[in-house]
Amino acid sequence: MGPMSARRLLPSRDVALLLGPCIAYLVAFSVFPLLYSLRISFTDLGASDATGNWIGLQNYADLLADPLFWNAAGNTAIMVSAAVTIQVVLGTALALFFNRHLRGAWIVRGALILPMLLTPIVVGVMWRALLNPDWGIVNWAIAQVGLGPINWLGSTEWAIRTLILVDVWQWTPFVFLIVFARLQSLPRDVFEAADVDGAGRLGMLTRITLPLVLPAIAFAAIFRAIDAFRSFDLVYGLSYGGPARSTTTLSFLAFQNGFQFQNYGYAAATAYVMVIALIVATTVLLRFVHVRRADAA
Amino acid sequence: MAQDPNTTPANPADDSVADVVRGLMAGQVSRRAFIQRTTALGLTGGAITAILAACTPGTASTAPSSAASGAASGAESIAPSASGSAGSAYDPKKYAGTKLGILMTGDENDHRALGDKLAQLKDETGIELEITSPALGALIEKTLQNLKAPKSDYELINYLGFLTTQQVGGGFFEQLNSYIDDPAATAPDWDFADFAESNLKNVGIYDLANKKLGEGKDIYGIPALHSGSVVYFYRKDLFDAAGLKPAATWDEFKAAAEKLNSADVAGCSFIGANDFSLATVDWYTRFITTGGKLMTGSPATKDFKPNLNSPEAVGALQMLIDVLPFAPKNVTTYGFAENVDAFSTGKIAQMIFWSTIAGPVFNKENSKVADTTDVTPVPAAAGQTPRAILGGWGTGIPKNADPAKKPAAWHALQWITSKVMNNYFTEKYQIDASRDSTYIDPTLVSQLPYLPVAGQANAGAQTIETSILDDFFALNDVMNVEFNKALIGGQDAKTACANVQTQWEAMLRKAKVLT
Repeated sequence: MGPMSARRLLPSRDVALLLGPCIAYLVAFSVFPLLYSLRISFTDLGASDATGNWIGLQNYADLLADPLFWNAAGNTAIMVSAAVTIQVVLGTALALFFNRHLRGAWIVRGALILPMLLTPIVVGVMWRALLNPDWGIVNWAIAQVGLGPINWLGSTEWAIRTLILVDVWQWTPFVFLIVFARLQSLPRDVFEAADVDGAGRLGMLTRITLPLVLPAIAFAAIFRAIDAFRSFDLVYGLSYGGPARSTTTLSFLAFQNGFQFQNYGYAAATAYVMVIALIVATTVLLRFVHVRRADAA
Repeated sequence: MAQDPNTTPANPADDSVADVVRGLMAGQVSRRAFIQRTTALGLTGGAITAILAACTPGTASTAPSSAASGAASGAESIAPSASGSAGSAYDPKKYAGTKLGILMTGDENDHRALGDKLAQLKDETGIELEITSPALGALIEKTLQNLKAPKSDYELINYLGFLTTQQVGGGFFEQLNSYIDDPAATAPDWDFADFAESNLKNVGIYDLANKKLGEGKDIYGIPALHSGSVVYFYRKDLFDAAGLKPAATWDEFKAAAEKLNSADVAGCSFIGANDFSLATVDWYTRFITTGGKLMTGSPATKDFKPNLNSPEAVGALQMLIDVLPFAPKNVTTYGFAENVDAFSTGKIAQMIFWSTIAGPVFNKENSKVADTTDVTPVPAAAGQTPRAILGGWGTGIPKNADPAKKPAAWHALQWITSKVMNNYFTEKYQIDASRDSTYIDPTLVSQLPYLPVAGQANAGAQTIETSILDDFFALNDVMNVEFNKALIGGQDAKTACANVQTQWEAMLRKAKVLT
């Protein structure tokens, strides 16, 4: 039944009654806060001021001239690109491996997805303890094989790598799960035909399996990229943006400006720049996926 | 190293100590003056405690009656006697049945300490007090929302001393003078004069007309639930074994660190992480005790200029860099908890720190060094007074609180800031008191020997100059980031200070306090 037929069956009053609460909810809890924070981003609202003065695009101009913003943008770009790339490669490899129906694999699969069930703030605090340079088990373990110690969170060189590493630990299972589900639903006859035609394992992987699971990989990558771009709680729990702002991401910068320094207008502008960047990036990526799907068809 | 007052002094300093002790025994020197003079002369907390204990009976004391009357018993009533002539107008149960709310910090032990006493408050006054205690960030947010709303949801609000200008100076709090001066509103033994002057100036007194913190006579908040500053913690056993005295200067601090450093114990420690206290405790203490002045000019005249590129600023940071070889190897990741843990487990020989950590350090159940640690005032350069940053909180009544509940709110506020409560908070949680009498209470001092030194540090502490700006936390963050970068080898001290100077100037111009 299409929308036209539904409209014919239901009087407009009933349509309004059915959709009204949903629309009211969206307006109250999504649209209004968005518009309100957009308005704040055009003001100098701070700690001592109840309403803030209208300053137009000044916050945006200041932001684009702020080296701290570009530092955070750079850190975010490094984190998103590195973490998502590793997660996609690792998650896909794991999915392909576990798609071979090995005995007892279900137990490992179950254990594998545990990290993604944890809250990122808990993951951050937990890894901070594991990586403690004095008594953390990780440095102890690598010392047993003659390596380290590594100052995981205390050096600018290592802190961003550690952030990426922990993000990979937590979210590779997500990519694995998506790709594995897609692999499980692939039609068997295609592989049987390829087998009859004499295709080798590598040929089947590169010419049949990967093209067929590509939409799932793309979905997982886009979803993870959006999520990693907004990453705040892991940074808060693990490194608090340091040392020397080497792990300060855009979300963390917005948090600091808003909730530590009470520069609400500036923080709102930071958040809006993030929203705009996300909308542009997602649109481009989805278009890419769409094109690939059309090509595949 | 308790000294016998009857022995002949060997040098002028000992001579002065002996004079003060004789004065105390003769009743010519008050306890408070005794502690002030002996700490200035370099006596340790343990020595002062021993002398005070020896001289307790029959000596002149400035400790008010309630404090001197004994330990801060949890069950001790603070309700004044109805027979007291001055207090006849005061009715402890006048606001029985009133329900109040307090918004306070949940980051310290204060909310637990107050929580312990809610039943007693209800018994003695009939007032029901409900505590809301979020972490600092959420507290500031919630406080500002309430202060700016048409009506506050809380009748009492707890604010950080560093935010007094922002919140009290914003005109959001009720003036309290009329309550304090009214014998019907204030318990006769509440003793306003007992609050440390430094704390009152930091969180209580504000000249709204001229926007000046700590000036004038208008009172908008009461120091509560804790105050405090920074003291020097050192391992008596290690110093004695090495024939060292606790460091009185920064050169001595470094020399002791070098001498005491071993595979098992770091010669010293400090907040080396990108943490609030890196700049405010370790750098700022070294900076002001070597003659540094953080700001010149004033926001009002728009010439509020930082001196972060001064020799004292660079020198203070260089001092931290210089002791890195004698600090725990990962000290650049050490914040508050790491230092307290490491010191309590015997891995650090000396450090300056918020006096509030005396609680865990002297707690025999959890600390391995409870019996071997002592405290003195922080080191200082020759000719400089040992002093550090002043911490602590104020509590006031929002102007926009329910008018009908404001008198009850004052009633509850004076109850929770009474001497008995101050003593209880200190005894049970080692919360740094806001009242002078708590720091010299004989019973408490016998249990917590560090108190006189902590009290002296609290009395002489300095409000950090930038706390009068809304951007205080943002300015402090810049220091912490740049100083931490210098400590991890990313830049030298001079570059770090120059970077802070540049960023501060830009921020101060944006805030329109520097042209």
